[in-house]
Amino acid sequence: MTNPAATELVAEPLDRGQRLRVWLGGLQPRRLSLRTRILLMFALGALLLSGFLAAAAYSFTRSSVVNQRDKSGIAQAYRNAQVAQNELSANNPSAQAAMDRLQSLGVATFAINYRGKWSTSSAKYTSDVIPPNLQNRVVGESTPSRMVTTIDGKAVLIIGIPLTVTEASYFEFVALDDASSTLNSVLLALLFAGFITTLAGALLGTVVASRAVRPLGDAAQAAKAIAGGRLDTRLEPTDDPDLRVLANSFNDMASALQARVERDARFASDVSHELRSPLMTLAASVEVMQARRDEMPERAQSALDLLVADVTRFQGLVEDLLEISRFDAGAIRLNLDDLLVAEFVRQAVAVSSVPTTPVQVTERAERVIIRGDRRRLARVVANLIDNARLHGGGGAEISVTEPEGEGEPLGHIWIAVEDHGSGVPLEERDLVFERFARGAVAGRRSTSDGAGLGLALVEEHVRMHGGRVWVEDRLDGEPGARFVLELPADEVGV
Amino acid sequence: MGSVGTRILTVEDDERIRTAVKLALEDEGWTVDEAGSGEEAIELFHRAAPDVVLIDIMLPGIDGFELCRTLRRHSDVPIVMVTARNDTHDVVAGLEAGADDYLTKPFAPKELSARIRALLRRIRPISAGHAKLTFGDLEIVPDEGKVLRAGQELHLTKTEFRLLCELAQNPGRVFSRESLLDKVWGYDYFGDGRLVDVHVRRLRTKVESDPANPRHVVTVRGLGYRLQS
Repeated sequence: MTNPAATELVAEPLDRGQRLRVWLGGLQPRRLSLRTRILLMFALGALLLSGFLAAAAYSFTRSSVVNQRDKSGIAQAYRNAQVAQNELSANNPSAQAAMDRLQSLGVATFAINYRGKWSTSSAKYTSDVIPPNLQNRVVGESTPSRMVTTIDGKAVLIIGIPLTVTEASYFEFVALDDASSTLNSVLLALLFAGFITTLAGALLGTVVASRAVRPLGDAAQAAKAIAGGRLDTRLEPTDDPDLRVLANSFNDMASALQARVERDARFASDVSHELRSPLMTLAASVEVMQARRDEMPERAQSALDLLVADVTRFQGLVEDLLEISRFDAGAIRLNLDDLLVAEFVRQAVAVSSVPTTPVQVTERAERVIIRGDRRRLARVVANLIDNARLHGGGGAEISVTEPEGEGEPLGHIWIAVEDHGSGVPLEERDLVFERFARGAVAGRRSTSDGAGLGLALVEEHVRMHGGRVWVEDRLDGEPGARFVLELPADEVGV
Repeated sequence: MGSVGTRILTVEDDERIRTAVKLALEDEGWTVDEAGSGEEAIELFHRAAPDVVLIDIMLPGIDGFELCRTLRRHSDVPIVMVTARNDTHDVVAGLEAGADDYLTKPFAPKELSARIRALLRRIRPISAGHAKLTFGDLEIVPDEGKVLRAGQELHLTKTEFRLLCELAQNPGRVFSRESLLDKVWGYDYFGDGRLVDVHVRRLRTKVESDPANPRHVVTVRGLGYRLQS
């Protein structure tokens, strides 16, 4: 049920603090769902793990590749340096001779510093590209050294070997290009593997998350079913020890709830059943007394009249209570018949408390049939007439009309009861159909009579028949309420 | 219109209800015998020979259904059942046990006397105007209150007989449940259609050679019942 008053939002200007909070609130990440969190956790775990493994693998590969390069480069450089030294130790030593000799051996990238003078094998690898501190250490301090540097954007290992006996230094350039390209492809492979692993982690996370969340979904559905009135809904028993706790406590809760609801329903039903026997005695005895009313003193007559009226009312109330507890127990079985709605309404009015209530039926509505339990629907009409009699300022009018316009196929019929009371305020229009709403709805409180269950029963009965009931203002704008029953209907074949 | 000499047997275990109902029924001019249990009722039934029996279903010992079946074995006396609920189960079970009508507690005594009057009226011979009606192997003699199938006399209750006669008055015509409720039970528009349905079922077990495939009392879907040869 919606309360129109409660859903109206009050629009007030926000102060600056509020606005800031709203603004900040918009920036804060929304709380992630369990499913997303599990997925992210798996993906993150896979990313971290693959990142760590990739880093380790890369650094290991790198150091081993570089080491190997280093070692073979240095060994070669020493051999070449020995060749240069031999040349420079010969008679008439000249750097050119050493260079020729080395070039004839196939050494292409080297430089020789002989007595302060540089000789280089190619224009690319000159003394300029040798870092000064390497030069200092090798030429100045006579210490063999090596250094990796970049020449023309390429990694090059420069090995410097002092040739002490001949006042010369030998520098050899070893290109590290192929090594770094090896490393690059290794790095690429590792990154790719890391990406795949992360993806696989996320995928696994999705699967695990949906498996983990499924019991929650089942529980949510079961809870919804219970809320919808199917109290015997239970969760499937499971072998998983974690889930078993959830399933067991859910099922225990459902059983306790069911027992409680059934006990309450049984209590109402038992009470009314127990009330019926004394009521029988009361009703029969009162009738015997009423047959002798004329023989009674005046005061006794007044007392008897009160007794008769309230025994009748008591009887109605107990019948209503029994009927509503039957609804609660789901024990109502409709006794369905095809009824000509106009005939039905006229008959129902004839047996109601105000048989003179006028009934207006449109021409089309005369040919409409409804499928219903005639005695239960007659109670509905009688209850609405009672309601109009008690709260609607006396008389009422009934109209039977079709909601659909001319030419449209007919799916429903409206049976409306209009009274001349003060009407039902907007915010109470749902409340009047609640049980014992009379007390809550002060405006329609009657001094005595008043069936607290009448309209609640109307609603239950109409719902059982697949229809609706509501209250609105009178159509002609005069003060008063208009209760409308909408029932599924069919037109008799023309 | 309390017909003199009409005896009613009320079977009810609650003494206060029994007394109050007896007082109310005696105001109608009827003689009322009381029984507190089924056993007592059977004993009294043979002694007092009541015209109508009122049975509360909830009885200690033999329950109302059983009592009803027991009485039906020897008698076609009109029986009114008093049920706790108007649920399908109790009502249909009571009618199938042989009750002619039922009331739901708490009922007004006026309602009860109206029901009893309707049952008593039913006993009187109907104005058939026909000496004998024949439907195939079925013969109805309204004036004598006799029904024969293949020459064999059938034992119908008063209500079953009245129902058959109503259908026989206009052979081939379809009678709606409402019109049968009105003519046989004296109910208005809001009578319980199950009364008709169960009585038709009971009638078929007697007049049909194969009650599952009725030849005489046939159902016309959505409309009612019809009697044919």
